[in-house]
Amino acid sequence: MTEAIDLSLFSMFMCALLLLIPIAATSYLKLGITRSLLISSVRMMVQLVLIGFFLEYLFLYNNIFLNISWFIIMLLAAVVSVLNNSGLKLKFFVKPIFGALFISNLLVVLYFNYFIARLDFVFDARYLIAIGGMILGNTLRSNIVGLGDFYKSVMRDEQLYYYKLSLGANTTEALLPFAKRSFKAAINPTIATMATMGIVSLPGMMTGQILGGSVPLVAIKYQIAIMVAILASTVLSISLSILFSVPSAMHANGTLRKELFK
Amino acid sequence: MQIKAHNITKQFTEKYILREFSFEINPGDKVNIAGPSGIGKTTLFKLLLGFEMPDSGHIEVNGKTLVGEQIWAVRQQVAYVSQDLNIGLGTVNQLFTETLSYKHNQHLKSSAQAHIALLLQQFELPLNTLDKNITELSGGEKQRVAIVNALLLQRKVFFLDEISSALDAALKENVLDYFLGNSEFTVLYISHDSYRPSNIAIKTLTLSNHD
Repeated sequence: MTEAIDLSLFSMFMCALLLLIPIAATSYLKLGITRSLLISSVRMMVQLVLIGFFLEYLFLYNNIFLNISWFIIMLLAAVVSVLNNSGLKLKFFVKPIFGALFISNLLVVLYFNYFIARLDFVFDARYLIAIGGMILGNTLRSNIVGLGDFYKSVMRDEQLYYYKLSLGANTTEALLPFAKRSFKAAINPTIATMATMGIVSLPGMMTGQILGGSVPLVAIKYQIAIMVAILASTVLSISLSILFSVPSAMHANGTLRKELFK
Repeated sequence: MQIKAHNITKQFTEKYILREFSFEINPGDKVNIAGPSGIGKTTLFKLLLGFEMPDSGHIEVNGKTLVGEQIWAVRQQVAYVSQDLNIGLGTVNQLFTETLSYKHNQHLKSSAQAHIALLLQQFELPLNTLDKNITELSGGEKQRVAIVNALLLQRKVFFLDEISSALDAALKENVLDYFLGNSEFTVLYISHDSYRPSNIAIKTLTLSNHD
């Protein structure tokens, strides 16, 4: 097995040419998203080039504080992304969602590094940042779905929520049915992905490892481990997100703050 | 339960729902809240349950102003049957089980089974209603299930919002007689029905336009 072939400038140019297809299609159909498509493409390239250089140094120094600081920055970006995409206001949610993602992701990635990857140095940049990033990226989607769905459903079925309060439920008891449903909606995609994994799609991480020279059986073991880690972290983070955010989302009389939504 | 409202005003975007409104309700009172549709009768219930706060004025329940802890205490003493028939998902039995699972209601669990059977019979619902899905029920069945759910709580104060609108005449009388005929109950009710049980003193609280 050989290492992945480096892509030359010519290759990258050819890759950019592929972009002509979506650009042509979106402008022909007048979808009005050509501009944002271009901006996103450029952003992706710039971000990835910068991160490429940055990671070279991060891996080179492999310093515990540096690694953790970067992990926290990734988390903050994740929090902002979750909130922007779930239509909730940053002001009320930054702290609880950061706390939820921090605890769930760090716990799972350290478990992964110590018990599964059997590292001596659990804060190793390659694992903390790469594995941590993968877990975070995947829990992100679930959190966007789960958290947004939860607050929107309480808002939509406000009468039902009030009804439960009037029956003598405390906030936790009245919110539990809503939380359960959103929790299910949040983790269902991960469960569905697991069921088709390997048949419908070869996961990106496996592809990477195989191109990088790993034999498929090694890549598969990592893939299984990472999927289970993602599921664990998803379940933890969505539960904690709801749990931590509820107190700041409610008035003292148990009603939902209307100003939570953008 | 004694309820006193002192000059409460509630406004929703320019429109006054209540303006300098005062009233007093004493234990055992049966009060019909009257007034045209959209005048704010349901809002009045929401104010009394602390789901909405008055813009000015205040409400006293048993001598204590309705804020903070007192709101939660009221919600544990009042059985509210909402006009909204979205009472949850799952079977009727699951609805009752959830109601009884709340910490505050757990002491009612042991006697609930017999109680449920009696109440279903009272409101002419067959016993197998328990296994039916709430979404399959007709409007009238849902109303009666919500009534049973409220009565399971064994409370003495009732806020009833249009609870008989989907029932036929005989059932309407059955329901209203049940609540209004019990001297221990304090009942505030909204109803557009003309039926009134005889021999029972019913006060009327009329909400009128302010614009």
